[in-house]
Amino acid sequence: MQNAAFVAAALVFAIGLHGMLTRRNMIRICISISVMESSLVMALVAVAYVPGGSAPIVSDGQTMFVDPLPHALALTAIVIGAGILAIALALTVAMYRHYGTTDVLAVFGKTREGQ
Amino acid sequence: MIRRVVPVAAGVFCLLLAAGFFLVLRGAVETGSGRDGPLLRDLFTTSSVDETGSVNVVTAILMDYRAFDTLGEATVIFTAVAVAAAILGKPRPTESQRTMGLLSRRLLSSVLPLFLLFPLFVIAHGHISPGGGFQGGVSLAVLVILIHVAFGDPFGQNVVPLRLLVMVEYGAALGLVAVGMLGIVQGASFLANLAAGFPSGTPGSLLSGGVIPVLNLLVGLKVAAGLSSLYIYLSGHEASRGDR
Repeated sequence: MQNAAFVAAALVFAIGLHGMLTRRNMIRICISISVMESSLVMALVAVAYVPGGSAPIVSDGQTMFVDPLPHALALTAIVIGAGILAIALALTVAMYRHYGTTDVLAVFGKTREGQ
Repeated sequence: MIRRVVPVAAGVFCLLLAAGFFLVLRGAVETGSGRDGPLLRDLFTTSSVDETGSVNVVTAILMDYRAFDTLGEATVIFTAVAVAAAILGKPRPTESQRTMGLLSRRLLSSVLPLFLLFPLFVIAHGHISPGGGFQGGVSLAVLVILIHVAFGDPFGQNVVPLRLLVMVEYGAALGLVAVGMLGIVQGASFLANLAAGFPSGTPGSLLSGGVIPVLNLLVGLKVAAGLSSLYIYLSGHEASRGDR
């Protein structure tokens, strides 16, 4: 069970990384970064898994809980991911206003012409 | 030729990295299993109700054991807003009306109060049910963003001015630090909860967990103000300027 979740997280990570390496559009690169972050959240949730454990909210008659610490760290990862995504999108907007395109290679070409 | 090779090479590289990612996770789990002695997760689940008064262990970790880290997370959002504002400058809402259709607007104007109810519930019940300040704050930000998307930017700026959002963000940040200082004043550490003598209440009831509900509310307000002002900064520009 846990291994399957790990494999899924690793595959999603690979998909995000491949997108980040091969796409040329800044918006798509931002989406790829976001996909990579979701794979980390998936991995954290899978690490927290305890066989037979329930959600870590203490109530009567429950003794087995999943690990609560990775869940708290997943929240940290999500928040920092949102911050990174916001700054990346702000830079994309600035780039579009300056060069009129979101294509990374086109921007490289334009900066080379300017020299 | 090179155009075909590069994506394939990148794919192989990514798959190899993914295999490494899997092996690291597997190794981390195997290192931890098969040891005797108390585990950290059992420590959290058995003692958190007595030590923090919060039934939700994740909230207990976020708002009590690692409350200082949560203050740092709130600062991360604040920094993201500050950087976006520095890069993009003052937002200028476009006069061209980009609103949704009449039907959507009529429907939304009756559904929006429910959108306010749900985040408030999530924030207020953060210590006794799934949820908390961050989740509720994001839902609140969705409310503001929905107003902007559905009724247009000028209307959204009128209903929820950017100045108000910025003030809420500052106020919530100062409130968080003030609650932390209260712990020092009471003779315990920064952001101390029950150790500083705050009443724990009956675990599982709405008013329990010492300062945890207050911290949840402040974090929720801060996240809501931060994310919605991020949207306003990102959207508040004429898209037609570099366009043709």
